[in-house]
Amino acid sequence: MAPAPPRSGSETFAVRASGVDRAFGGVQALRDASFAARPGEIHALAGENGAGKSTLIKILCGLIKPDQGTVEILGTEVSRVVDPATRRRMGVATAFQELSLLPDLTVAENLLLQAPPRGRLGLVRRGRLAPVAAEVLRHYGVDDIDPRATAADLSVAQRQVVELVRVLAGEPRVVILDEPTAALPDRQVEWLAGHMRRLRDEGSCVIFTSHRWREIEALADQVTVFRNGTRVATRERLSEAEAVTLMSGRSFAGAYPEITTEPTAESALRVTGLHGGRLRGVDLDLRRGEILGVGGLAGQGQRDLFLTLFGAQRAAAGTITVDGRTVTVRSPKDAIRAGVGIAYVPEDRKAEGLFLPLSIRDNIAAATLSRRATAGFVNRRAERLAVTSIVDRLRIGAGRSTSRAADTLSGGNQQKVVMARWLLTDARILLLYDVTRGVDAATKHDIYELVATLAAQGRAILYHSSETEEIAHLCHRVLVLREGRVAAELAGPVGDAERIVAASIKEGQDA
Amino acid sequence: MRETLRRVSLGYLVLAATAVAYLVVYTSRLGRFPTSFDYLSILNTTLPLVFVAIGQSLVVLTGGIDLSVGGVVSLCVAVTAATASVPWLVVVLALGTACGALNGLVVAYGRIAPILTTLATLSIFMGLALRVLPVPGGSIPPSVRLVLTNPGTPTGLGWLGLAVAGWLVLRRTRFGMRVYAVGSDESSARAVGVPAAAVKLKVYALSGFCSALAAVFYVSTTTAGDANAGTPFILTSIASVVVGGVAFTGGRGSALGAVAGAVALTLVIDILFFAGIDPLYQSLFQGLFLVVAVLLGTVAGLVARRRRSS
Amino acid sequence: MSRLSPGARRILYALAGTAAVLLVGALLHPGFASWSSLRVMLVVASFTGFVAAGQMLVVLVGGIDLSIPWVLNGAAIVLTTTSLGQTSRAPLAIVLALGVGALVGLGNGVGVAWLGVPAVVMTLGMNGVMQGLTLGLSKGLTCASCGSYAPSPLRGLFSGGLPAQLLLWAGVGVFMTVLLTLTTFGRRVYAVGVNPRAAFLSGVGVRGVTVALYTCSGVFAALAGIALVAYGGQPSLGLGDPYLFESIAAVVVGGVSILGGRGHYLGVIAGSLTLVAVTTFLAAQRVPEYGRLIIYGLVILAILFAYGREKAHD
Repeated sequence: MAPAPPRSGSETFAVRASGVDRAFGGVQALRDASFAARPGEIHALAGENGAGKSTLIKILCGLIKPDQGTVEILGTEVSRVVDPATRRRMGVATAFQELSLLPDLTVAENLLLQAPPRGRLGLVRRGRLAPVAAEVLRHYGVDDIDPRATAADLSVAQRQVVELVRVLAGEPRVVILDEPTAALPDRQVEWLAGHMRRLRDEGSCVIFTSHRWREIEALADQVTVFRNGTRVATRERLSEAEAVTLMSGRSFAGAYPEITTEPTAESALRVTGLHGGRLRGVDLDLRRGEILGVGGLAGQGQRDLFLTLFGAQRAAAGTITVDGRTVTVRSPKDAIRAGVGIAYVPEDRKAEGLFLPLSIRDNIAAATLSRRATAGFVNRRAERLAVTSIVDRLRIGAGRSTSRAADTLSGGNQQKVVMARWLLTDARILLLYDVTRGVDAATKHDIYELVATLAAQGRAILYHSSETEEIAHLCHRVLVLREGRVAAELAGPVGDAERIVAASIKEGQDA
Repeated sequence: MRETLRRVSLGYLVLAATAVAYLVVYTSRLGRFPTSFDYLSILNTTLPLVFVAIGQSLVVLTGGIDLSVGGVVSLCVAVTAATASVPWLVVVLALGTACGALNGLVVAYGRIAPILTTLATLSIFMGLALRVLPVPGGSIPPSVRLVLTNPGTPTGLGWLGLAVAGWLVLRRTRFGMRVYAVGSDESSARAVGVPAAAVKLKVYALSGFCSALAAVFYVSTTTAGDANAGTPFILTSIASVVVGGVAFTGGRGSALGAVAGAVALTLVIDILFFAGIDPLYQSLFQGLFLVVAVLLGTVAGLVARRRRSS
Repeated sequence: MSRLSPGARRILYALAGTAAVLLVGALLHPGFASWSSLRVMLVVASFTGFVAAGQMLVVLVGGIDLSIPWVLNGAAIVLTTTSLGQTSRAPLAIVLALGVGALVGLGNGVGVAWLGVPAVVMTLGMNGVMQGLTLGLSKGLTCASCGSYAPSPLRGLFSGGLPAQLLLWAGVGVFMTVLLTLTTFGRRVYAVGVNPRAAFLSGVGVRGVTVALYTCSGVFAALAGIALVAYGGQPSLGLGDPYLFESIAAVVVGGVSILGGRGHYLGVIAGSLTLVAVTTFLAAQRVPEYGRLIIYGLVILAILFAYGREKAHD
């Protein structure tokens, strides 16, 4: 389906949004935002997490309605049409960041849901689903995915590929890809780039977001930068330093604090032969005052390591020693216990951290309830004192009442609330798992400083981040996980993230 | 799809086990094999539940639940028995569909939890049934009885076949695929362009239609109506669906499993009868059957996951 | 109004609902809102208040208890058949009846929390089990001791200007409010209701909390059974049937979110009162049984439309 040439002046833009406002609860996600992209171009949307990119995408593809403003697709005004099906018929196809594959359906059913092969009487020929899907996959150069497999059984990368094939197979005139490469290995990134260029050359408009600046540089004809819910620039060329400045509103240098203190020689947490989930025998020794980075490609067992140490997931084998004593951690309750003192701050604060409708105070107090209770009754005075002091210390929510619901806070403040909960436990071992994800630049900076301070106070910190840069700059030492084992150990600060990436993909054992 | 196969086969397994138990109990009690008369009576008493179970499984497949089946069956039984005429059967079917559509509207467009919606409409439909038929009674034209649940020839077998065929056709429509899509993940389904609200509306309407069919067959078998006739179907239809391996979270399973579950559930009652157990204990065994079946499903799921991960 | 939390606002709505029904009733029927009439309504509402207390607890963690009708009925029959109407046997009978409720609730909780059975399935199955056991063991309420009455001290709960039953309900109200707002357990209940995963990761024993709540629900259903049989003198079959709907309705009218994590017992008290006021009003209007059922359903639907709606798709 070749796109028709522009018919009128208004169709010089494939997509145009102007003056768009959108709020979620108390959070203004988009404020007077504008965006425009032409047919025949690849247009990158850049911005930090929480800058409003995902909200804009949801508005463009008709999942949510703007509170204000206009949206035009291929010259038609669609501001009030909130219906992805209508957008699809107009030629808009979207690959979502939170994957939209249907987990219980097969790959074939997912691909052909809207246009299944039919026989006489118009009935779906279920036997033909898999062969037809296999053909579609092959057409787009995918041959390692079984169309009969259930989507839930695929790896994250495979699911992403199927999602992308689903989008490509519509041969859309407007393609929106939200973080399409986040879950893809390099080979498939190349595959996707090829298709994006082909669609562009055929006259489609390709809009995508990415956290990897290299990809934006290599692919985009235009870059639009968002910050705090508004567009701050649209350029043809943009250097990484410029982009970071635009996105964060501060200069590139000095993003990470200097790590000045050295770890002590005392071991805080020693792990030997840890199995469970994807872990295939992890050994590590975390010392007091140390920030130990855990890196590697996505899905090499990092999450299993953190969850197993915290008791949220069962260890199949291995021993965990805290301060020289072997401990059994069967549940988070065991881990929090005074004698053990392990805290885990999760990446996905909405799913795993926060009680959104509950008050800030309830959120912060949640892990230490019994410490301020007599005979099961909450000592409200002690609770208020404890919460107020930690709120002041972390500068949460700029003087707002702690009885406000957590969902009225911004993403950064929400993450601080979760951090505050765990600092109240006085845990000496902190497991920080991708805690800066979806957090604005200022909060990120606060979190880095906090991590450095905590280490200086003698706490032991295990640190994982999906942004390898962070691990490279913030950690005393970095362990690289591969296939559930420690594949390499790098003395830090590593400084150059490429070294961690190189160690992640190098074959053989060189630890 | 392997998952679906496993879940469905659990339903058939349970059916096979209850069938064997039935034969054993029957022959040891009466000293002979069941006659065609026995099979026919099982068939005719199962049919109403089979229909309700198909409707219920459609709703459960979208991740919902329909407690109002009890009310719709009661209301339709009342109308069928009170009017006792063939043309009114069409009205009854339309009435059931309308009741279901009302549920669908409230759930899909009013965005109210299915369990609350159908609990409220259950009360409304029960009230209407009581209005139509204050005391048990009424009748059914003999001609209807001859065609639907003939006590002499297995016409019921044809209807059972028709029900199964209806499901197989439905499964092969785009609507059928969408039912699974909505149940698997409603927001994802919406995002890829599935009209989730319309799908849910239709599913509840279909459930209402199935309940109306069940009501007609019920009156045809019992030859009289009762405004409370539908109440037991709430438990038994959900039990059939669960035994049949339809996942309560939606998106997995098949109405055929629920049909197997419905037949198994009816056999259990016959087993109890022939085993000489006081019929007062009937709901005890139905309840146990429900809980045990769902536990079996959970255990089977755990075993499968273990095997897959190791 | 905007300064009130949504929770407080819902309680106010429920109370306003009660007041409105009473007002309309008083206008149409002189004496509708007199103390003697109110006293009857309060007593009748207290039964709903008991079962709704248990229902509310499980709804707070996103569950539901469909086993209430026959737990209630079973407990009522256990009470009369073990007490045989004798005062000296009353304590034992009460303990046994409450024990039955606790046991069934425990079973529900274990099934839901440990075995992962959906709450609807588990409690519906348990209702069937209790129904079968109750009918079977009492031989359809024809057993030798089945004709017994409740011991007279229990029946005294309902005499006097201010019946002891109402004090008991007030006690339940205080217990529920203290439990949910002042204790660590209450905090954990709301945490589990809002986000079980986050609660688990915060060291909350999610399964333990769930089991405790279902057990409480069983006990409250049994308590209602005891109170009802004390009120009526003798148990009957189907005694508990209306209370499944009533308990859920009271919880919903009282502003408790069916998705869990939100709601207060004060609202549920108001919800129970509203329901009973509506029933009494309909009876005063000589609306027959079927009309009551229909209007009940419509009222619940209306309330659900007012504030039981799920969030729009975002």
